Amino acid sequence: MKRISLLLLALLLIITTVACSPKTETPQNQDVVQEETNDPVPPEEPKGSIILSTTTSTQDSGLLDFLLPIFTEETGIEVKTIAVGTGKALQMGRDGEADVLLVHAKADELKFVEEGHGTERLDVMYNDFILVGPEKDPLKLKNDHPNNILEGLKLIANNGVTFVSRGDDSGTHKKELSIWKAANIEPAGDWYLEAGAGMGDVLKISSEKQGYTITDRATYLSMRDTLDLDIIIEGDENLFNQYGVIPVNPDKNTNINGEGAIEFMNWITSKRGQDLIKDFGVEEYGQPLFIPNAE
Amino acid sequence: MDYIIQGFKEAINLLISLDREVLLIVSLSIIVSTSATILASLISIPLGVYFGIKKFKGKRLFSRITYTLMSIPSVIVGLVVAIILSRRGPLGYLDLLYTKKAMIIAQTLLVIPLVFGLTFGLTKSRGDVIEKVAFTLGANKWDTIILIIRELKIDILVNIATAFSRAISEVGAVMIVGGNIKGYTRVITTTISMMNSMGDYPMAIALGIILLLISFVIHSIIYSYSQED
Amino acid sequence: MEIKINNLEKYYGNRKVLDIESLIIEKGKITGITGPNGCGKTTLLNIIAGLDKEYIGNITYNGLNLNKEIADKMTIVFQKPYLFKRSVYENIEYPLKVRGIDKESRSKKVLDIVKKLEIEDLIEKKAHLLSGGESQKVALARALVFKPNLLLLDEPTSNIDPDAIEILEREILKFNEETNGTVIIVTHNLEQSKRLGHRIIEM
Repeated sequence: MKRISLLLLALLLIITTVACSPKTETPQNQDVVQEETNDPVPPEEPKGSIILSTTTSTQDSGLLDFLLPIFTEETGIEVKTIAVGTGKALQMGRDGEADVLLVHAKADELKFVEEGHGTERLDVMYNDFILVGPEKDPLKLKNDHPNNILEGLKLIANNGVTFVSRGDDSGTHKKELSIWKAANIEPAGDWYLEAGAGMGDVLKISSEKQGYTITDRATYLSMRDTLDLDIIIEGDENLFNQYGVIPVNPDKNTNINGEGAIEFMNWITSKRGQDLIKDFGVEEYGQPLFIPNAE
Repeated sequence: MDYIIQGFKEAINLLISLDREVLLIVSLSIIVSTSATILASLISIPLGVYFGIKKFKGKRLFSRITYTLMSIPSVIVGLVVAIILSRRGPLGYLDLLYTKKAMIIAQTLLVIPLVFGLTFGLTKSRGDVIEKVAFTLGANKWDTIILIIRELKIDILVNIATAFSRAISEVGAVMIVGGNIKGYTRVITTTISMMNSMGDYPMAIALGIILLLISFVIHSIIYSYSQED
Repeated sequence: MEIKINNLEKYYGNRKVLDIESLIIEKGKITGITGPNGCGKTTLLNIIAGLDKEYIGNITYNGLNLNKEIADKMTIVFQKPYLFKRSVYENIEYPLKVRGIDKESRSKKVLDIVKKLEIEDLIEKKAHLLSGGESQKVALARALVFKPNLLLLDEPTSNIDPDAIEILEREILKFNEETNGTVIIVTHNLEQSKRLGHRIIEM
């Protein structure tokens, strides 16, 4: 038994070594050469890689999985994505641990650039937030206030109906808090659950607890089939959400790939990038998840 | 560098002032992991002893499978429990997902193989002689299991402590089935994970220190106890 | 208890370590088994005790195959006895406890046997911290306390002091006389076999 497994192991090793060793033999006939040139190779040599620090919403919605391979193919730049809350993403920028940011907290972003952590900031796209809740909609918000988020939140708070908050200092969380503020409510109490988790998790919690939640449309649509939640309130301008791209100041440390970051910014705000954003999600959900608005 | 030092300073402050939120998180961690460890021990220790002394075909394969399950990733356990407990799952009607009970269930399932495997291995190597004596003195199967547990209690306690450490330090399962809801299902590890993604280090450091302290205290107690024996 | 052994063979791998065509251990007698190291004395004793089931052949106890009822009526004291990590009292009490005997009777029987073996002063002590001679006496007390029909002894007096040997031998004889219990004692010491045994088997 032992001998057989050893043999198998040895065989495996040989196979992998052979398969991994660079081809040094000269091709013996034309066919082989032909085949090799047909392999999909990047048009140019890879220009290294960039670290993109972004929010969980762009990752969870699948936008990045759609955009980045195309970006890499067209520019030869590999992108390593770190999807975190906007707070952490900005912190990574300040610490010089990322090359470029794609986030959505405009006030913080402008401050970030003002303080010299980023070189500039461009609008990329916006998405909108929605209030989702149980199909039964105990407060009849969908019926009474389909486009009035402030009124909806007031009713939720006054009736003490379960509301699940991100509670993680993310861009979405900040957005939610700003809407509560606009409604003049200090959300607190048994009904207000602070999940401290990503959007996907919060939607699942909300679905399990049959509570209300403010979410970005993209994440909701991508998970709709697994949730017992409906769109309750939408279209209120308090619910719009602007994304910006910021290359991190390359003077922070020598590891920052400033050129790559600028190339990413230019690409995502170009007509090509903007068109791709507009196409994303249409096939699956019948509507774009992000609306491009770069100037 | 500054923010690290700053983080430690604020962490110490949080600890000294017995911050209410920190206390709540720590006590919840201890309650959940202790319950899970006790439940898992009640199930796994007798079974581990039973299979440890039992002679049966395929015991070696059985050992190998057991040892594999001992290191089952916590996220897998979390995922399975979440699927079963979610509203659309087979036990969805119990309304357990994102509650303390769900966390206890997940951690119990996580450490059952661990306690079982450790007890099984221990009994396999050291239970034989005790079993023989028990047999010659007229003990039945159950008497024998109880006797072996009592005779090996120090080692079994160390195993239980190991299981508790695994439970209280895991984040995958409790994050998935608990949801990290403030005041309800937020425990030490899920908070640390969350605080890190928020870039808020002091609380994370404070809780990290507490987690290490808990481990240290438990193992110190067990160590001194085993010295006494 | 009468024990009949027929065509018993025991192998370790390909090595035959036991080959007994026919052997009868008489009821109510003390049988001494002696022989050089490695002749299979201990193996035979373990097989009779029901601890080793991997053998070829046939053993009967009062005409029956080994079952739980028979097993409950016999016991073995090993050369190096394993005592539980509890008090001497609890060790000796154990076989009574698993037989469901009530606390009062247990206490009476334990105190009775420790007196006979002159180990009254040990009963509070932790058993696993005793000396060799003391351990052996406790082990014998634990075996005798429930008055077995068959007592198996594997070199019970090797490496212990002469005083202890005397007490042990005395109590083994007394047990046999008073209860008519069958005893098999494996020993490499021919003198001991002669002192104790009604019959001596050399292997």
